[in-house]
Amino acid sequence: MLPLCRATALAAAGLLLFAGCNNNPQQKPLHEKRPDGSPWTVYYWTIPDEIRSLDPQFMYEEVSNRILEPIQDTLLEYELMETKPYRVGPCLLEKVPQPVQNSDGTVTYHCALKPGVLYHDDPCFPGGEGREVVASDVEYAFQRLSDPVVQSPFFSNLSDYVIGMQEAYDAAKKAGGKLNYDTMKVSGIEVLDAHHFDLKLSKPYPQIIYWMALHCTTPVAREGVEFYDGLPHADGPKGRIKVRDKFAFHPVGNGAFQLVEWVRGQRFRLVRNERYHTKVFPTGGWPPEREAVCRPLAGHALPLADEVQITVFREFLPQWLLMRQGYLDNFDAYKDSVNSIVTSIKALSPKWAARGMKLSTSTWVSTFYMSFNMQDPLVGGNRKLRQAISCSYDPRGFIDLLYGGAAPVAEQLLSPGIPGYDPNFKNPYGFNLEKARRLIAEAGYPDGRDPNTGRPLEITLDGVATGAEERQLMEYMQRQIEQCGVKVNVIENTFARSDEKQDQGNFQLLTGTGWGADYPDPENYFFLFYSKNFPPAGKNVSRYKNAEFDALFEKMATMENTPERMKIIKRMNDILVEDAPIVLEFNKANFMVSQPWAPRIHSNMLLDGRAIKYQPVDPVMRARLQPSWNRQPMWPIYSAVAALAAILGYGIVLNRKRNV
Amino acid sequence: MFSYLIRRLLYTPLIIFGVMLLTFVLFSVLQKPETMARTVLGKRATPKTVQDWLHTRGYDKPTFLATGPKKPGQAGEGMFDTIFFNEMRKLATFNLGVSDVTGRELKEVFQQGAIPSLLLTLPAYVAGFLMAVGFALFLVFVRKSALDTAGVFACVGLMSVPPMVYIIFGQAVIALSFNYFPAFGYEMRSWSSIRFLLLPVALMIVINLGSEVRLYRAVFLEEIGQDYVRTAQAKGVSSVRLLLVHVLKNGMIALITYVVAQLPLLILGSLLVENFFGIPGLGNLLTSAIQTNDFAVIRATTFLTAILYIIGLTITDILYAVADPRIRLS
Amino acid sequence: MDASLWFQNRLIGAADSLFRRVVESLWFQDVLILAAVGFIVWLVVHGSRSERWRQAWVRLRRDRSGVAAGVVIGLYLGIGVLEMIQIPRDQFGSISILGWLTRGVAQETSYSAPWASTSLSITRVEKLRGWHLLGTDALGKDTFVQTLRACRTALLIGGITSAIYVPLGTLFGIFAGYFRGWIDDAIQYFYTVIYSIPEILLLISLLLVLGKSVTNMSIALAITAWVSLCRLIRGETMRQAERPYVAAARALGQSHWKIITQHLLPNVMHLVLISFVLGFSHLVLAEAILSYLGVGSPIGTPSWGSMIDGARGEFSRDPLVWWNLTSATAALFGLVLSLNIFGDSLRRAFDPKRG
Repeated sequence: MLPLCRATALAAAGLLLFAGCNNNPQQKPLHEKRPDGSPWTVYYWTIPDEIRSLDPQFMYEEVSNRILEPIQDTLLEYELMETKPYRVGPCLLEKVPQPVQNSDGTVTYHCALKPGVLYHDDPCFPGGEGREVVASDVEYAFQRLSDPVVQSPFFSNLSDYVIGMQEAYDAAKKAGGKLNYDTMKVSGIEVLDAHHFDLKLSKPYPQIIYWMALHCTTPVAREGVEFYDGLPHADGPKGRIKVRDKFAFHPVGNGAFQLVEWVRGQRFRLVRNERYHTKVFPTGGWPPEREAVCRPLAGHALPLADEVQITVFREFLPQWLLMRQGYLDNFDAYKDSVNSIVTSIKALSPKWAARGMKLSTSTWVSTFYMSFNMQDPLVGGNRKLRQAISCSYDPRGFIDLLYGGAAPVAEQLLSPGIPGYDPNFKNPYGFNLEKARRLIAEAGYPDGRDPNTGRPLEITLDGVATGAEERQLMEYMQRQIEQCGVKVNVIENTFARSDEKQDQGNFQLLTGTGWGADYPDPENYFFLFYSKNFPPAGKNVSRYKNAEFDALFEKMATMENTPERMKIIKRMNDILVEDAPIVLEFNKANFMVSQPWAPRIHSNMLLDGRAIKYQPVDPVMRARLQPSWNRQPMWPIYSAVAALAAILGYGIVLNRKRNV
Repeated sequence: MFSYLIRRLLYTPLIIFGVMLLTFVLFSVLQKPETMARTVLGKRATPKTVQDWLHTRGYDKPTFLATGPKKPGQAGEGMFDTIFFNEMRKLATFNLGVSDVTGRELKEVFQQGAIPSLLLTLPAYVAGFLMAVGFALFLVFVRKSALDTAGVFACVGLMSVPPMVYIIFGQAVIALSFNYFPAFGYEMRSWSSIRFLLLPVALMIVINLGSEVRLYRAVFLEEIGQDYVRTAQAKGVSSVRLLLVHVLKNGMIALITYVVAQLPLLILGSLLVENFFGIPGLGNLLTSAIQTNDFAVIRATTFLTAILYIIGLTITDILYAVADPRIRLS
Repeated sequence: MDASLWFQNRLIGAADSLFRRVVESLWFQDVLILAAVGFIVWLVVHGSRSERWRQAWVRLRRDRSGVAAGVVIGLYLGIGVLEMIQIPRDQFGSISILGWLTRGVAQETSYSAPWASTSLSITRVEKLRGWHLLGTDALGKDTFVQTLRACRTALLIGGITSAIYVPLGTLFGIFAGYFRGWIDDAIQYFYTVIYSIPEILLLISLLLVLGKSVTNMSIALAITAWVSLCRLIRGETMRQAERPYVAAARALGQSHWKIITQHLLPNVMHLVLISFVLGFSHLVLAEAILSYLGVGSPIGTPSWGSMIDGARGEFSRDPLVWWNLTSATAALFGLVLSLNIFGDSLRRAFDPKRG
């Protein structure tokens, strides 16, 4: 027994020494050097969850964007350096198309694709070589949108405007549910030649250019869709039968990167597309503090990194831990994931700042608020009560807890960067305790007490709280609202449950609601309060209904950004603030901590995965700094072994004493 | 023995039925299929898309018994064409189905997830067992001394700390301050990938060590108190030999049944450790399934667990009968 | 929905709200506490009549570690009771005795280190309003006070759960072990089904359905806890039932119920007591684990589990916030350790050979 003990102890120590040699959790890169001898650069990134599909016409979730966007370019792309306001620029198209009004009320956009853009090399093409992107690929994309089999969530919106989509869909339904791509065309897309096509809309819709910056309208290679059908084929070595991936899991793109490895649920690996030349690094427009980093890169070919390794991290804490060790290049709180809360980094402590890490904050194009249920008998019918609650809530404390004070309090529904946003507007029902007390008395509940029972009025607050930090935040909200005298009962829910309550209208006051803009247009915010958008079909969580608001909405929805439109927007904002179906909270702040070797070069919140091609990485600096951040002290091992030996020794001595 | 096995075989489907019924009742109260559909399909899903999604999975049928008149647009014929019975039929043929949330084949998901879980629990189990036996023997060896009391106290102390504290501490101190092991992550590519598992395995051993050592020590002490040990001592057998040969062997009989019963359930991994260290095992799968209300995964996991548990029970009973002829399996 | 279903729902809803109103009212809780204390006292008095229990008590008194552990448990009980008993306070309702005693402790805005005079934040260093023995948590509440207040949560969970599962498990165990036959089969079937579902799964889903509250946690934990007690009692009952005195009693014509209450029950009570004490420690630990998994005590209820849960994020802050985790773990450790040692001494007291 005892010799065995010693042997195991030695073996354990040995194993420890051997395996503990490094604590690097990342994969080895594909290469060490580029063909020209310079070091191969890798960018280490994260994604908050497993993705469900990479089919551009089907997928509509933030998470998948991170993988799809680097792989697939879009017709138009938001300009990297322009954020006040956001603007789209050309990407696959030569320039941003202008609308041409036709005599019959329809609108035509003449579009020209850049010549010479190639798809990635893939076995679906003859010879394995990617071919050029042509206009009929755009037509194919719109056909797919109208295909019932694809179940595209974009179909209902786009078919309202693009001529021919609804007809193609109906024809497909009549023919058994599948679209025939050779016979059933979308008449709104007219292919003129290999690089030119016309887009025809049934009525004016200036926001269509934002749709062209989304991946659902991106050209798709028909060969890819038909090749990757998810059925068994003789693809394996020596003709063995293997099941081919479905197109949703094997996209064929034309972007700056190519997806080469995907371990389901765990990680992705992207590699540079050698033949990419659709876009280059911007030649100007960056803020002065980024001059030193951006100037040398002006006009440089893209992508700047050679390889991107993206790991799935469902929780944020491990990301921060790895970041501190230097194994991740970038750390940010993800768009619209209300569950992901960055509380560990209020301000970069001197220890991390001394290492060269930089913290940059910017504001997401989003607004967060609590929603009242306008159909609830208590809060829905009592405007002064809602206003009172709005006045007793101070978002500033919440912002301090959550963002270290870095996020702005939302005074209005629109976010900064949206046309119509008024930086000087102050919410008349913002935090004001005196006003709150006055209003709640006017609402019929002096001091927050129900005059019939003498006890405080009870309000139920629902929210998502699956982690300790979220619970702390909800407790804060509870105490804040109780300042006007009411009693708040907090109900914690999982994300799924909260969604269910939203859909069913099963709440009084719901927190965690908000909206992140799909595109920078006020219509994308005001539609949240349009009375035809009640859940579960729409997103009008408060079930707000106001005839004047509806009329104004219908008027401004498809206007260009003229002064008249701005006037209408102002009026709508005033109506909303007065009716108070929501308690405005904040515009979400985005914390980005970046390593010294991978500095942030932009603050564009509408470009997520797309901005990866612009990201510079310095592998030499990383190789130098990482080991110094991960030193391994030896003293714990020595002391542990010593303690073990001491105990064993005592046992042996005891044994000798007893056996004598 | 034979009749016992037959009875067990007949008994098992009843248990499974009970387990699945309980699970279904719980989860049908928890969430309606429509909400699940909407969560999966995303913000812009139209009611038509939702309906299609439900239909392809058979979730638009009534939950338990189709007794009422058929509502227009509702699918299904016959009283037993309901979600419950359809799923039971599928599970009975071990067709685990597809995940509600990700759409992946569950058979494949389980196969992939079982490996990391086993890589975590199996070494922890075996090494933990060996270490616990070793420590227990050592404590019996130094019994009635100060070291023994200290040892027992240490064991009880180890048991009294919540497992998360070990994990938080382990990660903070060993992975982050000492930088010996990766703080997070998992990969199974080559031998050097073992570094991802050393810390979690060590933590799992520590978590269970206290209670195991106490239990084994009690068993061995009972053996030491037996008459044959005193005879052996009188005959001049050395302490060490006594321990290793006699006490260990006889004590094992009592232990082995306890140990073996837990083996089938090892495949589930550990919820806490996997979650903390990001090991993509079945424990992690279950946690995320509960959070996302992925009913398909929960159903399949419950089903498998029930079967494994019953296998474990059966093996234990058989081993008891084999080891101790006095017990009859009637 | 058809009319009968609607009516059923209304009835259930009304019964449920009535139940909740009674259970959560103040005087009900105070009465419950006094009743529990009274019950324990009666048990002790009743038990002291048995020779076996008196001998055990003598042995227990001599066991120094057991006595020390018992004192510590008593301390926790005292603090818990102080927090449980509510006294009326002006027009805001009521406050616990402990709350009244600690009313002078200051409330800060965020974290602060033990014994510190300024807050922890790097961006905004403010002067603290008071002195804190163990620092403050994320919302500025004093850690030491929170730890003390959490005693109540732990004791409530252990107490209510035990109040449900102990009688249930004991009775079912005795029935199964004594009557055998189909009753035994049915009870075995019942608990095998419950045990086959992974415990965590069952707990989490039950709590998601029922909602988070201390009572619901107790109910859910009781559903999983009665199984092992039942098994234990069943085994012991089977052993007891084979003894000649039971057959003799039957021959004399004693009814089943009399045999159970007068012979079997007293002879298994010591096992019940030991299981109760050891089970209590498991329940307290279970609360901590459930809090980590997100289905623990609701917001606003202090509990060690939620303090430990919050520690995960706190440990990666800079500077490190260690005091919440440490004080919650220490408190938890103290209670669970004492319960385990006390349970061991009880075991030794009732059966000195098995020490």
